[in-house]
Amino acid sequence: MNGADLSAISPLIAAVLTAAAVLIVDLVRPGRSGPAVATALIGLAITAFVTIQVGMGAPTAFNGTYKVDALSTFLDILFISIVAMTIVFAPDYLLPRNLPIAEFATVLIFAMSGAMLIAGSADLLLLFLGLELMVLPGYLLAGYHKTDSYSTEGAIKYFLLGSFSSAIFLFGVAFIWGLTGTTLINSADPAQPGVAQALASVVAGTEPLSAGLAIGLAFLTTGVAFKIAAVPFHYWTPDAYQGSPTPITGYLSVGPKIGAFALILRLFVEALGPLAEWWLPVMIVLAGLTMTLGNLVALTQDNVKRMLAYSSIAHTGYMLVGLAAYAGGQVLGLEGLLFYGAAYTFMNLGAFAVVSAVQKRTGVTSSLETFSGLVRREPGLTILMTLFLLSLVGIPPLAGFWAKAYVILAAVQAGGSLTVLAVLVVLNAAAAAFYYLRVVVYMWMRDPVTDAPPLTHGALMWGGLATATVLTLVFGLFPSVFEIVQHAAAAISTLPGGG
Amino acid sequence: MTSPFGILTVVTFLPLVGALVVAILPSRWTRPVALAFALAAWVVSLMMLIGYLPNRAGSQFLFLEAYDWIPIFGIQYKLGVDGMSAALVVLTTTLTWICILASWVPIQTRIKEYMISFLVLEVGLIGVFLALDLFLFYIFWEIVLVPMYLIIGIWGGANRIYSTIKFVLYTLVGSLLMLVAILATAFAYQSATGSWTGAFDLVALRAHVQTVGFAPALQVGAFLAFFLAFAIKVPMFPFHTWLPDAHTDAPTAGSVILAGVLLKLGAYGFLRFALPLYPDAAHTFAPTIIVLSLIAIIYGAIVALVQPDLKRLVAYSSVSHMGFVTLGTFVFTEQGIQGAILQMINHGLITGGLFLLVGIIYERTHDRTIAKMGGLAARMPLWAATLGFFVFASAGLPGLSGFVGEFLSLVGTFVVNPPAAAVATLGMILAAGYLLYMYGRVVFGEVSDFIVGLGGHITDMTPVEILTLVPLATLIVVFGLQPGLLLTLVQGSVVDTIGAVRDGVPLPIGTEVVVIGLGLIIVLVVVRTISAAMSSRSERTGVMTEGGGAH
Repeated sequence: MNGADLSAISPLIAAVLTAAAVLIVDLVRPGRSGPAVATALIGLAITAFVTIQVGMGAPTAFNGTYKVDALSTFLDILFISIVAMTIVFAPDYLLPRNLPIAEFATVLIFAMSGAMLIAGSADLLLLFLGLELMVLPGYLLAGYHKTDSYSTEGAIKYFLLGSFSSAIFLFGVAFIWGLTGTTLINSADPAQPGVAQALASVVAGTEPLSAGLAIGLAFLTTGVAFKIAAVPFHYWTPDAYQGSPTPITGYLSVGPKIGAFALILRLFVEALGPLAEWWLPVMIVLAGLTMTLGNLVALTQDNVKRMLAYSSIAHTGYMLVGLAAYAGGQVLGLEGLLFYGAAYTFMNLGAFAVVSAVQKRTGVTSSLETFSGLVRREPGLTILMTLFLLSLVGIPPLAGFWAKAYVILAAVQAGGSLTVLAVLVVLNAAAAAFYYLRVVVYMWMRDPVTDAPPLTHGALMWGGLATATVLTLVFGLFPSVFEIVQHAAAAISTLPGGG
Repeated sequence: MTSPFGILTVVTFLPLVGALVVAILPSRWTRPVALAFALAAWVVSLMMLIGYLPNRAGSQFLFLEAYDWIPIFGIQYKLGVDGMSAALVVLTTTLTWICILASWVPIQTRIKEYMISFLVLEVGLIGVFLALDLFLFYIFWEIVLVPMYLIIGIWGGANRIYSTIKFVLYTLVGSLLMLVAILATAFAYQSATGSWTGAFDLVALRAHVQTVGFAPALQVGAFLAFFLAFAIKVPMFPFHTWLPDAHTDAPTAGSVILAGVLLKLGAYGFLRFALPLYPDAAHTFAPTIIVLSLIAIIYGAIVALVQPDLKRLVAYSSVSHMGFVTLGTFVFTEQGIQGAILQMINHGLITGGLFLLVGIIYERTHDRTIAKMGGLAARMPLWAATLGFFVFASAGLPGLSGFVGEFLSLVGTFVVNPPAAAVATLGMILAAGYLLYMYGRVVFGEVSDFIVGLGGHITDMTPVEILTLVPLATLIVVFGLQPGLLLTLVQGSVVDTIGAVRDGVPLPIGTEVVVIGLGLIIVLVVVRTISAAMSSRSERTGVMTEGGGAH
C-alpha cells in the first residue's frame, strides 16, 4: 500500500471516518439527534467533495483491483445523496418512536461505504466484499424497530434470503475463477489475462465453451436477481419493506438496489460483457416478468408503503430493460439505466419521505385511508407527494418521464424483441398510473377520515423535500445531466460510442 | 423571423406565470388575477394572429423559435405557427377566459387550485398547437392530462373519480405508445442520416419523408401508435367510451374545454403529424378509418337520440360531429381537409356554447334529466332562445358556422367516395333529429312539475352568463356567413398537408404489416380487458368510490 493507493480510496476513508465521528459525537452528547445529524451531513459533504476531487484524476489502486472512473464517481455521488437524504428524512419518523438516530446514521454510512466499494471494484472478490459490506447493515436496519414484531420478521426474512443469495453469488464467482484462473476483471497484460479477456477468448472460439461456465453464469445471475429483487426472486421484498420503519424502507428501495445495479455493471457489463449474447435473453425475460408482475401486485395494494415497495420491483424491471438494450448492442441502454437509477432515487425517496412525515404521529399506519383528504391537513406535503407520484408515473417534464423515455429509446434502438419490451414498458406505465393516481385521488378528492390537527415538520424535512422536489422537477431539463450519464456509461462500455 | 423572446413563448407560458401568481397571492385575488392572465394570453394570441394574417396564404411556419435543448439527441425547443395552429390557439385562449368566467359562481371550493389547474391546462393546450419538435409536442400533450384529471376528479359530479381515472387511463395508453413511435421515428431518422440533429424536428423529418421516406414496417407501427393516441383523444369509435363519462362528471367549464379544445388535439395530431410523416401508412389505413368515422357519425347520433341526460346527449353528439373531422381528414381531398379544420373550430365554438347552456340550467335545477324539464321557454326565455340558436348551429343550419365544416367535409368525401358521403349525410339528418327533439322537450310544452317545484330558483341568464355566450354566438354567425375568413387563414395548412399526403401509396400488406397490426390488436384487447377489469374491481370493492381497504 502506498500513498497513491490511499489517495484513490480516500472517499471510502472519509466515509468510514464520518461514521466513526457520528458515533463519537453520540458518545459525547448521548441521545441528542441534532449534533449526530449535523456531523453526519458535514461528513457526507466532505466525502462527496473528496469523491469529486479523486474522480478528476481517475486513479487505479492496489495492483489494479480498485479503480476510480467516471462511473464510480457518478455512483458514489448517488450513494452519498441517497444516504444524506435518508438521514434528513428519518428524524420525523424515528424520534416520536424513540428510535435512536445516531446509530441509524452510522449503520447507513457503513452500508454506503460498501456500495462505494462495489462501484470502484475491479476485482471479483472485492465486489463480493463490497456487496456484503453493503447488505449486512441493511439487515440491521430492517430490524431497527426491534420491539415491533413485523420489523423483526421482515429483518429475519431479509437476512436469511440475503445470505442465501450472497452464497449463491459467491459460488458463481468461484466457478468463474475456476475457469479463468483470475479474479481480476480487466488486465492489459496478455500473459495474465483478466476475467473479461479470458472470457472473450472463450467466446472467440479459442477455447471450448464449458458447462461450468454456464453454471457459473446461472449462479451469478440468480444471486444478483435476488439482490435487485427481480421476479421471480423478489419474495423477500414486501415483508422486508413493510416491516421496516418507513425511512428505512425508502432507503432499502433505492440504496441496496442501486448498489446491486452497480454490481451488475461491474460484473455483467465489464467482466461478463463478452458473454452478453448468453445473458441477454435471460435479462429480457427477467425485465418483462419483473415489471409486469411488480405492477400487477402493486395494483392490488391498499397500503401506500407496500404499494411503493411492489412498484419498486416494477421500476427494477424498467432498469433491466436498459441493461438488456445494452446487451443488445446499444450504449444508450447503459446510459438509460444510470439515468433511471438517479431519477428513481430522488422521486422515490421523496415519496417515502412524505409517507414518513405523515406517519410522524405514532400509531398512524401507511394505509390509503391515512391519505384521505390529506390536502386539507397538509397541503404542502400533498402537493409534493403528487409531484413525486406523477414523476413515478412518468408524466413529463418530470424526472421519471425522462428516465422512461431514455430506456424506451434504447430498447427501440436495439430493435427486435426489445421493441416488444419497449411496448411492454409503456403498457406497464399505464397500469402503474392507476395505482399511483389512486393515492392522488385519496389525497385530493376524498374527505379526511380523521380530524387530527396538522403536524409540524422541521426545517430539515422541508429542506430535504425541497431538494428532492427540485431534482425531480429539473432533472431532465438540463442537458448537462445527459452528458454526465453519457460520460459515466462510456467508462465501462465496450461498444462504439452512441448518442 | 427569429427573435430571442418570441411571441409564441409568451403566449404559451403567460398562463403558467399566471398560475404562479395565483398560487402566491391571497385567495381573494384568485379569480380576478386568473381572469386577467387568461385575457392577457388571449390578447397576445390575437396579436399573434394579426401578425400572422399578412402571410395567411402561405404554408410556412412563422415566428419560429428554435433552441437546442438536449443536443445529444437533437431535441429542440422549437415553436412555430401556421394558419391551422393560429386558429386553434386563438380558440384555446378564447375558451379559457370564457371558462374562467363561467366558473366564477359555480366553483366555490378550492378556487385557487381550480384556477391554477385551468391555467396550466392552457399552457399544455397552446404548447401542443405550437410545438414543432416531436418530443416537445409529446411533453405538452402529457401536461394536458394532469390538470384535466384534477378538474374532473376534484370539482366533478357524483361519479367523478371513476370518470377521471378512466379518462387518464385511456389517454395514457394511447399517448405512451405514441412516445414509443416518436422515439422509433427519431431513431430511424438517426440511423438513416447518421446524426441525431433534427431527429425530432418536424420540418427536418418531413423533408426526410419527401426525399427518402421511412421503411414500411416503421410507418405501419408508428402510424398505428399515433393513430391510437389521436383516435382516443378525438375520440373515434370504438375508443370513445371514456368521453360520455368524462363529460357527465366534469364541471361545466371542464366540459367546455374538453369538447372545445381537448378533442381537437387528436384531430390536429392527425393533420400535423400522422399524415405528413407516414403518408403511405395513412393511405393503407384510410379505408378502415373512413369506415370508423362513418360508424362514429351514425352511432354517435343514434345514441344521442336516446340519451336521457342533457350532457350525455351533447357528449355523444360530439362523437358524431368529430366523425366529420376524421372523415374529411382521411379522404385526402382539399375540401375534405378544409372541412375537417373548419369543423374542428366550429365544433369548439358550438359545443362549447351548448355545454355552457347545459351548465346554466344545471346551476338552477341541479339536474340535467331531459324528462324532468319542460316549458322553460316560459321561465327562461333568453336562455331558451340562446339554446335554440346553438341547437340550430349544431344541427348544421346554413348560415351558421356548423354547416360549413360538415358541408365541406361531405363535398370532399363525395368527390372520391359518394357512398360514404351519402352515409355521412344521414348523420346530419339524425343530428337535426336528436337536437330538435331535445329542444322541444326541454323548452316547449307545459312547464313541468319539477320546474314548477323549483319556483323562484328558475331565473333567466345573468349578465355574466350572457357575456360568456356572446363571443361564441358572434363567431358562429360571422364564420357562418363569411367562412372565407377562416378558409383563407387555414388554406396554407390545407395545401401543405394535402401536398404531403397526396402522393402516398398504400403499402402492400406484407407479413410485417400483418404482424404489427395483429400485435396492436392484441395489445388493444389486453388493455381494454385490463381497464374493464380495473373499473369493475373498483366498483365492486368500492376502492375508487367509497371507503378503500384499510388496516
